[in-house]
Amino acid sequence: MNGLHGIIFSYEKRNDLRELSEIRSSASIPFGGRYRMVDFALSNLVNAGMTDVGVVLHGRYQSMVDHLGTGKVWDLSRKRGGLRILPPFNYQKDWGTMPFRGKLEALAGVRTYLDTIRQDYVALMEGDLVANLPLADIYERHIKSGADITVVCGNDSFATADGTYFEKNAEGRVTEVLYNLTTPRGYRGLEVYIVSTKLLKELVDECHAKDQFSWRRDVLRAKKDTLNLRTYIWEGFAAQVRSVQEYYDRSMQLLDPAIRAELFTAQRPIRAKGADKSSTYVGPNGRCVNSLVAEGCRIEGTVENSVLFPGVVVEAGAVVRNSVLFKEDVVSANSQLAYVIADKDVIVQPGRSLMGHGTYPLVIAKGSIV
Amino acid sequence: MKKECIAMLLAGGQGSRLYVLTGEMAKPAVPFGGKYRIIDFPLSNCTNSGIDTVGVLTQYRPLELNSYIGSGQPWDLDGSDGGVHILPPYQGSKGGTWYKGTANAIYQNIGFIDLYDPEYVVILSGDHIYKMDYSDMVARHKAANAACTISVMEVPWAEASRFGIMAVNEEDMITEFAEKPKEPKSNLASMGIYVFSWQALRKYLTEDEADSNSENDFGKNVIPAMLNNGERMAAYRFAGYWKDVGTLESLWDANMDMLSPESGLDLSDESWPIYARSVNAPPTFLGSGSRVTHSAFNRGSDIEGTVENSVLSPNVVVGAGARVSYSVLLPGTVVAPGAVVEYAILGEECRIGRDCHVGGAPESAEGGKWGLTVLAPRCQVADGRQVAPGTMLDRNGEEVSK
Repeated sequence: MNGLHGIIFSYEKRNDLRELSEIRSSASIPFGGRYRMVDFALSNLVNAGMTDVGVVLHGRYQSMVDHLGTGKVWDLSRKRGGLRILPPFNYQKDWGTMPFRGKLEALAGVRTYLDTIRQDYVALMEGDLVANLPLADIYERHIKSGADITVVCGNDSFATADGTYFEKNAEGRVTEVLYNLTTPRGYRGLEVYIVSTKLLKELVDECHAKDQFSWRRDVLRAKKDTLNLRTYIWEGFAAQVRSVQEYYDRSMQLLDPAIRAELFTAQRPIRAKGADKSSTYVGPNGRCVNSLVAEGCRIEGTVENSVLFPGVVVEAGAVVRNSVLFKEDVVSANSQLAYVIADKDVIVQPGRSLMGHGTYPLVIAKGSIV
Repeated sequence: MKKECIAMLLAGGQGSRLYVLTGEMAKPAVPFGGKYRIIDFPLSNCTNSGIDTVGVLTQYRPLELNSYIGSGQPWDLDGSDGGVHILPPYQGSKGGTWYKGTANAIYQNIGFIDLYDPEYVVILSGDHIYKMDYSDMVARHKAANAACTISVMEVPWAEASRFGIMAVNEEDMITEFAEKPKEPKSNLASMGIYVFSWQALRKYLTEDEADSNSENDFGKNVIPAMLNNGERMAAYRFAGYWKDVGTLESLWDANMDMLSPESGLDLSDESWPIYARSVNAPPTFLGSGSRVTHSAFNRGSDIEGTVENSVLSPNVVVGAGARVSYSVLLPGTVVAPGAVVEYAILGEECRIGRDCHVGGAPESAEGGKWGLTVLAPRCQVADGRQVAPGTMLDRNGEEVSK
């Protein structure tokens, strides 16, 4: 049995995701032509040998529950352990209040679940991280370094909505925990932590007793001098998708072969649900270049610099540029799309034209008929 | 547990007429249409027809087929009662034999069929590409009060002498059966798909086994014996797309048919899905210099060159400046930059070196010697090599003859 247990947090709605998060939590937003955000976190955990994973849900989780199913796709449908779905309930013990306010409150709410964890260590992740982390190595480093908590950071100060940033000393020990920065500095936290099960439970209990709920404020910042917090700096691609702009920019980055090679490395495959669709067909007059295309599409028109999910139809004379089209979208004859993110089942009627801009991608809500 | 109807799928074929292409696998495991294996068609037809118990008779190099079928989950055939069962030949206390023929294969599994005590048994073949509702055929069998129902389709009269031909009366009951007749009396060809009333079949299989002169074959022995005995034999007419992909040419044809739904082979029709165990890979990337027309591709491919009138399986690489025309590329094939592949079937994980020229158009052949070019799985073609139309290369890249 592997010594690591996984916990993924799936939060409701980050405002900057607009229409994309209206009907789902950010972890179940489609990404990369055939994935949902959470496929990355789940695959990261499973590829490190983890057999037991809990997914803590917040609001609007129906699409997430649908997606996770029994966990079979990630080999997490097991006799012992496997996938545990942890839906939210009233953490405040009062009616009519919101679900949990932070990770600690969420974990306090599923305190009995924490007692069932068979492994000595826990990897905490968020469902909106798109990365392919070598968690097995990070775990090994955690044990060797003697850290109380390993904090995984990206090697940049990239501004992500509601990001957490860390400063460290030469030994890699965390010296400062920062958030709400106007100009981010330090290393961007990927919200991936490794901690012993024992310490995690102690922290949850202590904070719960003091009505503290914020992991970064009440644990990381408050205890950075008493606990040994060590960073692990990940040099590779790591996207936290928290705004439409970030969603768009990160999607377009997938057209870069080097980034794809890193994110989809054969050593640690990202697993996703299949779509029972036939192959994609490009017609005699179709033109599709510099694009990532899933199965089951039919392309009779022009597609450039775009990401197409399964079952997208681009009819003759239609032109799709710099866009992301979700499952089963139909772009009818002679219509034009540029800088558009079209959610599932959108139909663009013949001859219509929709243009966003690289700095303001247009989002079309699920099921819209334009 | 009693079932009204179960299916037995003959998947033991070696696929000798696919020559080098089958490599280490049985014919039903050969990839098709950029996503499927041939066996996906009968298995999906079973599920879509409401048949939840399928015995798959394997014999020749079954490893790949067995691991592909696995628990049967991709076809919804992993139920707790029934599901898909792999049935290889086995040894009993009195010894055992290989499956001597199609009828003997079923004979050896009478015990399996009796477990479900079915009224009807559907006998299927593992090398046909088609979509058929078997429940419709079983309904015809019941209505005709037949002992055996054979699905037939009209073929051009000129080709009739290549098939098993049925003569029928005005009620479409079979009066005569002739295997590859020189002078066909009808153009109704057997598709090798049968429905039997189990008790009748059980009796004939036992008699057939006792006859030491029999080849233990359905078409040659069991069906003629039933006809001679005056059993009620019904024809079930099928008008949709159907192709036996037992030869390289027909396999190539069927792949090309998939590109044009007008051919009748529409795989995107969601009312009759063909399921497959899919490969986990990222979406396919089409590069800035790529040019893909009238072609199909699936997951995990990386296309920088030109692809026209071709079918690409998952994880194929077509380098910059390379051209693939009228070809079928099986999973994991790599076509290096500058290479040309025409009218070819490339086996799994073949690698075509830079600036190679593999195969050629029919017009380019000298003296009527044209044919498809076929490469065995894992064949490596060295940079710059020319491989003439009609050539077959084995996995070491050496030419082999048909």
